Amino acid sequence: MRLLRSVEGVAYWAVMAPVLACLPAVLGYQLACWRGDWEFRSRRVKRTALTCNLRQLLGDEIDQDDALRLARQWFRFASCEAIDVMRLRFRGRALRRLVEIRGREHLDAALAARKGAIICSAHFGSYDSAFSLLGASGLSVTTIGRWQHNYTASLSSAERRFWDLVYARRLRRHRHRPNIEPWPGRIGVAAQAAAVLRANEVVTIAIDAPPLEADWARTVKVPFLSSKARFLPGAVSLSRLTGTPVLMAFMYRSADYRHQVLEISEPVQMPPGEGEAAAFARCAAEVSAAIRRDPAHWAYWASGADLSVLGLDSPECDGAEDADKDTIFTDLGIHA
Amino acid sequence: MESVINDYISREIVQDPAVLPLSNETSLLEGGILDSLSLLRLVVFLEERFKITVGEADLLPENFDTVNAICSYLRAREPREQGAARA
Repeated sequence: MRLLRSVEGVAYWAVMAPVLACLPAVLGYQLACWRGDWEFRSRRVKRTALTCNLRQLLGDEIDQDDALRLARQWFRFASCEAIDVMRLRFRGRALRRLVEIRGREHLDAALAARKGAIICSAHFGSYDSAFSLLGASGLSVTTIGRWQHNYTASLSSAERRFWDLVYARRLRRHRHRPNIEPWPGRIGVAAQAAAVLRANEVVTIAIDAPPLEADWARTVKVPFLSSKARFLPGAVSLSRLTGTPVLMAFMYRSADYRHQVLEISEPVQMPPGEGEAAAFARCAAEVSAAIRRDPAHWAYWASGADLSVLGLDSPECDGAEDADKDTIFTDLGIHA
Repeated sequence: MESVINDYISREIVQDPAVLPLSNETSLLEGGILDSLSLLRLVVFLEERFKITVGEADLLPENFDTVNAICSYLRAREPREQGAARA
């Protein structure tokens, strides 16, 4: 069954999603939602982990019916995200006409100060497509983040090439430079990012990534959802060292599933003298607020291993680990 | 130059007092003294203090592994910087 699902996933990304992306948006995204519904019904373990984690971390805000509704939406979003990536073909116009960018003036104002801009987001909705979309709309965008398929030990070299072809390549072509990939031993990462900012360009980063074990000593624990989570505050450190403003950005999918709104905030206030953890906590609070506003967008609900590294796991949701093994997509950091 | 850089690293970057006093031959990378962000902090300091620009291509472990290596790198830069200034 697991093999069948993997084959279906590969077929979806390699064949179905590119075809659906060429159809009229109303039809393409509707078909993607039906595929999401099928996934919701057939992936019992993952669905159970999702609903359990949703209820544990959102507390009394949702009941079991809400959790099931959100889980269904999560699977639908996951299928739609593949269409978003495929619609980035050529100059990305097919996706750009479905996405309204709000707050672009904050980004333009930040760039007018000629110190670049750091856009912080999370593994939230089509965040990777959103970063590339900013590039497609005329900004020089570079992302700090790992292409996870290159480092997932369980993938063969053929699988790595496959994910590079169907996923990373389509996102990469709208980014100004190759991703700056933080990895233990790569000491030049922050200085590389600073060089990008000095050129008055945009650096994007998803700040909720589970830290690698080698980086645990540098993490800060901040309030997150109904608990506390362990994150790396690198984006804030980079901002402090370069004098670059940090703006938060989240892309929300609308009720019709095809239109989206990319909301860019004003710069996050960072008073001089304030501790790094306190400044980062403000960014994490923005991520928390975005997740509470529309929980199904967050990628990590189904990933017990990632929640555990973040310090958010719950012993009650012991199906979550099995859900991780259910699919290779979780390993890749892809929201499905 | 060595003492200026050693002082800065000892004062601003070292987090574990057990490694102090810092020898000019101590490996900053293997000792875990220098990570990506502290290297950036150091680069910002070097650029301000010695009026240079450290390019991306220069961000190599061999240029920043020890205080002596940093000084060698800076000294190797001097003729280039002077040449650029004359031009």
